[in-house]
Amino acid sequence: MSRPATTSTPLSVAHVSLRTLRAVNWIYGVAILVLVVAMPTRRWIIDALNLLPSPETERLIVGLHVIAVIGLVTIPLNDSVLKRLLAIVESVRGGDPFVAANAARLHSIAWVLLALQVLSLIIGVIVKLVSTPEHPLNIAAGFSITGWLAVLLTFLLARVFAEGTSMRDDLEGTV
Amino acid sequence: MAIVVKLDDLLHDRRMTLTELADRVGMTLANLSILKTGKARAIRFSTLDAICKALVCQPGDLLKFEPDDAEH
Repeated sequence: MSRPATTSTPLSVAHVSLRTLRAVNWIYGVAILVLVVAMPTRRWIIDALNLLPSPETERLIVGLHVIAVIGLVTIPLNDSVLKRLLAIVESVRGGDPFVAANAARLHSIAWVLLALQVLSLIIGVIVKLVSTPEHPLNIAAGFSITGWLAVLLTFLLARVFAEGTSMRDDLEGTV
Repeated sequence: MAIVVKLDDLLHDRRMTLTELADRVGMTLANLSILKTGKARAIRFSTLDAICKALVCQPGDLLKFEPDDAEH
C-alpha cells in the first residue's frame, strides 16, 4: 500500500544537513590525505609544531602519522553512515519509512558506529602513548559513554524497525 | 499456503459478484480480491462474520485446509 509523500521543515533541514555533512566529510578526507601524503616531512612537522628533536618527538611524529591514517579510514565509514541516513530520510519523505531496507540500513549504521568507536579507542591509546608533558596531544578520542550508547541504541532501533516492518507487512495482508 | 479460500465457489453458487459482496459486507473490492486470490495473510473475525452473514454460510464453507506437497 503506498502512502502520501511527506514534506516538512525538519525533514528538509535533515536532508540538506546530511548532504552538506557528506561534502564536508570528503573535504576533510582530502585535507587529511594531503597532510599524510603530500605535505609533511619530518622537518616540516618539527618546525610547524615547534618541537625539540628527541626520542619522544620521534614517537609523537609516528603517532600523529598513525592517527592521520586512522582519520583517513574513518572518512568512508562516516560517508556510509551519512549515505544510509540520507536514504532513510528520503524514504520518510516518500511516505514509507517502515520497510525492510531501512531496518537493514540501521543495522549497517550500527556496525559502522561500532567500528568508529573502536577506532576512537585506538586513537585514544595512541594519544596516551605519544603525549608528553612538554608536547601534550589534545585530541578528543578514547572511550565515550555516549558513543557506545549510540551504538547500542542503533542496534536496538534496527531490531525495532525490523519487527515493526514485519508487523506492518502482516497488517497489510490482513483483510 | 495450505489454507485455501473458496470465496469464488461460494459466489458462484449464490450467483453473486464480488462487487455485490463488497457492497453487502462494507469492504473494498481490492481487499476482497486479495482474499479471493489467496493473497491475504490473515482474516479478521469481523470480516469472516460479515462474509458468512452475507453469503449465509459457515467459516468452514469459506476456508479449506490443503496440505502443501512439501509438507509430505
